[in-house]
Amino acid sequence: MKDENFNAALAAATCALLGSAVATPVRAREEKSPWSLDSTLLYYGESDDRVRDISGAVAATRDFGDERKLSATLTADTLTGASASGAIALGRPQTFTSPSGRAVYTTNPGDLPLDDTFLDTRFALNASWTQPLARLYTFSAGLGFSTEYDYLHLGANLSLARDFNKRNTTVSAGVAYSQDDIDPVGGRPLPLSQMLDVGNGASKRAGSESKDVLDLLLGFTQVLNRTTVLRVNYSYSDSSGYLNDPYKILSVVDPLTGDTLTRVPIGEGPNGVYLFESRPDSRAKQSLYAEMKHAFGKPVLHLAYRYMTDDWGIDSNTGEVRLRWPLGAASYIEPQLRYYTQSAADFYRASLVDGAALPRYASADFRLGDFDATTVGVKFGHGTASGNEWSIRAEYYQQDLSDLSAVIVQFGYRFGL
Amino acid sequence: VNASCAATLTRDLDHWVGRFMAMASPCDVLMDDAPADVAQQVLDAVAAEAWRIERKFSCYRTDSVVHRINQAAGCGIEVDEETANLLDFAATLTRLSDGAFDITSGVLRKAWTFDGGDYVPSQEQIESLLASVGWHKVGWQRPVLRLQAGMQIDFGGIGKEYAVDAAAACAEKIAPALSCLINFGGDVAVRSARRDGKPWRVGIESCGRIGTAERVVQLARGALATSGDSRRFVFRGGHRYSHILDARTGWPVRNAPHSITVAADTCTQAGTLTTLAMLQGSHAEGMLRASGVRYWLQ
Repeated sequence: MKDENFNAALAAATCALLGSAVATPVRAREEKSPWSLDSTLLYYGESDDRVRDISGAVAATRDFGDERKLSATLTADTLTGASASGAIALGRPQTFTSPSGRAVYTTNPGDLPLDDTFLDTRFALNASWTQPLARLYTFSAGLGFSTEYDYLHLGANLSLARDFNKRNTTVSAGVAYSQDDIDPVGGRPLPLSQMLDVGNGASKRAGSESKDVLDLLLGFTQVLNRTTVLRVNYSYSDSSGYLNDPYKILSVVDPLTGDTLTRVPIGEGPNGVYLFESRPDSRAKQSLYAEMKHAFGKPVLHLAYRYMTDDWGIDSNTGEVRLRWPLGAASYIEPQLRYYTQSAADFYRASLVDGAALPRYASADFRLGDFDATTVGVKFGHGTASGNEWSIRAEYYQQDLSDLSAVIVQFGYRFGL
Repeated sequence: VNASCAATLTRDLDHWVGRFMAMASPCDVLMDDAPADVAQQVLDAVAAEAWRIERKFSCYRTDSVVHRINQAAGCGIEVDEETANLLDFAATLTRLSDGAFDITSGVLRKAWTFDGGDYVPSQEQIESLLASVGWHKVGWQRPVLRLQAGMQIDFGGIGKEYAVDAAAACAEKIAPALSCLINFGGDVAVRSARRDGKPWRVGIESCGRIGTAERVVQLARGALATSGDSRRFVFRGGHRYSHILDARTGWPVRNAPHSITVAADTCTQAGTLTTLAMLQGSHAEGMLRASGVRYWLQ
């Protein structure tokens, strides 16, 4: 229909025909169960008994009609296992003081040192409200809260979207702010201070630290044709405050042998020289995300790419491809492949060298290192006659830097009430 | 009045249900709680209006205005005000659809039979009929209409929706505060909200399974119209041709949605939008999205 004033022309013609100057505006909406629930149970298990996470989430949406919606998501997470502390593997046993400062743990020769005191339960609650503001405008606002034994997160976000071009184009802008309080077990270590013996708290300070994060988001969605949708998002994120991981350390090595310097504890304590990491107190990230969905008849291809760069020197690229293939009228299978590659932060180093000047910032956390990761997975979904859907997804993750692999299994069930 | 033309009034839980047949469709009038005599009066007025419009505009009745117009093709004929209003409205739709909608396209049905089979007429057959199609060939100087010899008009795609709005206006005149739902074969209008504030619930038939509701729409006020080809189509060469003909080509629209339901302020507007969207074929949804109305596709 080329006529821009199509609606006005039709309304005027109808008025002339029916002779009613004032038409009462229609009030109609589809009857749906007002509540829809999406529940998931996720298992994430790393190889060699490292981190294991079991997470359950329920997302509930209440539809109030006229495109007004309230959503709330409750998540409970249980993390167990051990994670790499940052210290390098050695040909001799290594003893470390645990984060609490009250005990020691020992790593066998040849093994990557893992901090096995890692155990956490997290609860998170997010709620958001969405409604149209005026014709073509949609507004949403949300609040988020999560808590762990050493962590408290509070966040808020606002966004506004506007449709253009016969609703084929949507432009959105959003802002989010969060504040996190971190109260590390055993106190907050001074950056680049040495790991000391059990009972010696000289390198730690009591009390909590905080971190603020401001995110700005710009989004653009374009319906290219009946079968293709393109979405592009740009985001800017600025974090400031305490950005260290209080449980990560670096080994100090002999420049000639490359082995960690030995240390003789008084009583119980580390048998090598380990320093707590030090990160800058601010981080600015920018990312660009593009996603295209294309339907080839019934099958739907999903392609996504993300580029991220930050002022710590990390650049990352993520590519993802998924293909949803219908099986019969009610089911589908969706294979997926994701590849991730990142460059290291400027201050990332596997260890510190004895005798060299101490850098201002240093971390051996492999998440800040140079690595590639591949995820392969498949999802199967089935819609029931009553309009509900269940799904199962299995993924395998392989990362090259710390020789990490993980299995992810997720069950999902979506239903109305 | 014969038995098939009788309207029956029955009582449901919290409302009255009036039923009759008109325009080859089952018609319902649902009325909020009211005295029996008021309900009967409203039902009688609604049925009378439906039968009046059917008598006046049916192309199958020899006593109708449409029949008289078609018989007079080749000469000028003066029409009454209501007919003139409908002709003006039809002319607007032809303009808005760039000629795809045309009340003179009915003669094409001599070639097309939509029975779910695969019969397709020859291009020569269609072209010979197209000679008698086209509103631009019609002389229309209100109140005088002049069809060329061999041309015909019909108000299919407008008439039933117009009748729903006209009947709803009749009901409102008799009992302005009474909430009535007028349903003529799936085209529905409600003029005023129910007393308890609850909406009327309108089931939209599923395409695949006739007789079962695909979805339920809550209608507090306004109108719904549905256009579909679940029972009337031609399937040929891998394409499903709906029963909706494009007056410019003489061919049915290809790959349109099986069914379109639109909610609008009046049934005439809703019905027009479903018809014009159907004429867009595979672009139907784009047009509905652009127009900003609430719609449901199957």
